[in-house]
Amino acid sequence: MALIHEPDAPAASAGESMEAFFNGLWNQNPVFVQVLGMCPTLAVTNSVRNALAMGLATTFVLVCSNTLISMVRKLVQKQVRIATYILIIATFVTIVDYLIKAISIPVYKALGAFIALIVVNCIILGRAEAYASKNSVGKSMLDGLGMGVGFAFALTCLGSVREILGAGSFLGIPLFGPNFQPWVLFLLPPGGFLTLATWLLIFSAWKARSKRKTEVLEEIAA
Amino acid sequence: MSATTQSPQARTPKPPAAEAASSVKMIRLMGSVSLICGLLIVTTYRSTLVPIQRNQEIIMKETVAELLPGVEKQVIYGVQPSGEISVLKSLDYTGPRLFAGYNGSGALLGVVLEASDRGYADVIRTMYAYSPAKQAITGFKVVELKETPGLGDKITSDPTFLANFQNLDVRLNADKTSTAHPVTTVKHGTKKNPWEVDAISGATISSRAVGRALDKSTRDLLPIVNRNLSRIEKGE
Amino acid sequence: MIMRNVVYALLPICAFSVWLFGISALASLAAAVASCVLTEHLICRIGGRPATVGDFSAVITGLLLALTLPPGFPLWMTAVGGLIAVGLGKMLFGGLGFNVFNPALVGRAFLQAAFPIAITAYTPAMAVNRFLEFIPTTLTLPFAQPLVLTEWIQRVRVDAFSGATPLTMQKFDHAATDVMPLFLGKTAGSAGETSALLILLCGAYLIARKFMDWRIPAAMLSSAFVVSAAFYLAAPAQYPNPLFVLFSGGLMLGAMFMATDMVASPVTPLGVWIYGGLMGLITVIIRFLGGLPEGVMYAILLGNAVSPMIDNLTQPRIYGARKKEAAKA
Repeated sequence: MALIHEPDAPAASAGESMEAFFNGLWNQNPVFVQVLGMCPTLAVTNSVRNALAMGLATTFVLVCSNTLISMVRKLVQKQVRIATYILIIATFVTIVDYLIKAISIPVYKALGAFIALIVVNCIILGRAEAYASKNSVGKSMLDGLGMGVGFAFALTCLGSVREILGAGSFLGIPLFGPNFQPWVLFLLPPGGFLTLATWLLIFSAWKARSKRKTEVLEEIAA
Repeated sequence: MSATTQSPQARTPKPPAAEAASSVKMIRLMGSVSLICGLLIVTTYRSTLVPIQRNQEIIMKETVAELLPGVEKQVIYGVQPSGEISVLKSLDYTGPRLFAGYNGSGALLGVVLEASDRGYADVIRTMYAYSPAKQAITGFKVVELKETPGLGDKITSDPTFLANFQNLDVRLNADKTSTAHPVTTVKHGTKKNPWEVDAISGATISSRAVGRALDKSTRDLLPIVNRNLSRIEKGE
Repeated sequence: MIMRNVVYALLPICAFSVWLFGISALASLAAAVASCVLTEHLICRIGGRPATVGDFSAVITGLLLALTLPPGFPLWMTAVGGLIAVGLGKMLFGGLGFNVFNPALVGRAFLQAAFPIAITAYTPAMAVNRFLEFIPTTLTLPFAQPLVLTEWIQRVRVDAFSGATPLTMQKFDHAATDVMPLFLGKTAGSAGETSALLILLCGAYLIARKFMDWRIPAAMLSSAFVVSAAFYLAAPAQYPNPLFVLFSGGLMLGAMFMATDMVASPVTPLGVWIYGGLMGLITVIIRFLGGLPEGVMYAILLGNAVSPMIDNLTQPRIYGARKKEAAKA
């Protein structure tokens, strides 16, 4: 995992904190840039509602586990750190499992086993190991929030394309009237792969373009 | 990782006392983290218990209303291992449950029962409406499944398959201990008897699972429903 | 050069399909070719690559795609198919010479998965007025659902056509069609797959001029024949006779023009036979034992997928082994 390793900074300025947040949302977006957590990304994005629910559940787990892990980071011995992190992450996954069941049973049934599988989403353990274990509580919380929101954003991007094309609706509201021809393919697994590939293509093309732009600007400035 | 787990012999050996102390520290850490986590889980469990039950009750009520059109009042019975039935206050009951539905004037419309069996991907949970007057299954709904989209999940939507359950014969045998004919799933297009289920071609495994589930449930529960019919009719 | 001759060989088949199904087939061919050529042109321009439109390969892809679709297939879906065929099936892999799969079949597989109902809506051959009016589904507005054709078919059909191809009737109703009409091709089906005779003649032209490896269609057709003969001999009541298998559906068109895609098929002499035999086997297995009436498309795509492996397995070992044997003798 090519994650950023930052030295343990004792205090964080406001600018640094915001950076921690936007890092996850955009520059280090877990799906579009790091290409992590592919299992839920492909499996539960056949509708916007499922994508949002999975994104929010993962965000909740990320923020809580990052915060708690950052709190105990000075006490954790290296030998048992993975075990400790997994224990903490599993706790919050269990909590989010109950919460979703309490909020909406249909959503709970649609997400199925993938709620429990948040435990093994490598974004979460990745952030715990690479960030929360080395940074202050506030920054870790923001990092978790940024990564979670970035993940939810990416899932929603996939979910909206797949739901709009595959069912002609957005969040269950029909968009095009009864004559619309649904593209069944996009609700099926190959549609997930195609949509993800298209988003990755758009994202990297956009990044390459903005990189070229800044280079040109720097040249002009020099 | 590798740097931290090197065998101690490779480096300067630590005094045994220090190692023991660090083990104790580790256990203490894991213990206290576990304690915090356990407390968090218990708190969430206690505080979400009521909303979860309420959600499940709402969904159950809607399903019963769908299976027994015109239902106004519902009473839930729990079946005890002895075969006795008793009115349940909440859904929280581990044994089989009977959902009796009555119309506005209090007459019994039918009883909704649960049936489940292993499908292709996971357990398929279904509910069906039983009419004691007709001695037949009059409604059917899949409440939970994880079958393949486009194949196995046709059991929720295929009209010819669902037509099986508009009037599926589940008459009891002469001594009222079981059904007269077991519910059997037959190959698509070969249904001859009113107690047979016409399978979907291309979703045979899922169709068979539904047939098995209904067979098991009707054989076990319908004799109990019929034995206690007078009580269920009065709704007590 | 080769490419242009393939286009020439396809033209009689296109003409026959226009004669058989009318202006809808012509519109479908035009839409598919236009979409493929335009996609290739645009991708070359965006990617800053040299223009490759002139090599006729996009035209072939377009023609083949339209020939494998039902004649009344909505034009907007045909255009989507062309975009996917060239964009996803060819250009993303690096253009001509790098495609792993036959591009036309990639486009068709996408359409089959995306619009499973439209792609099985067949219309009768030799319909009255076929040169004066379009099949109603052809002119479906983009993104709209095509109409249901039952009434229109009642009005235009010339014989007792039920909206099913010979293959569908065989699969679901066990109703056999005579071999002779199938061989000549005046039956319902995809636009260009109906006439086995014509496809054989056009393929023979390419083989005679050495533009095509005759062993691939020979292997695929003979393997399909042998496997289906085995099924037929075991249970003649349940399975159709092997000649029906050869002349129905897209087997002939697929074996002649799509399985022979030079880039996506193996190059070793033994590999070619294995490749063709495998595709014939898969076709018959899907047709007889699977849920679909037709399996040629998936058979060829699967054959394409394993062809690098076939090349790897066949080439060096056979050479070495033969040398050793020769030395021993």
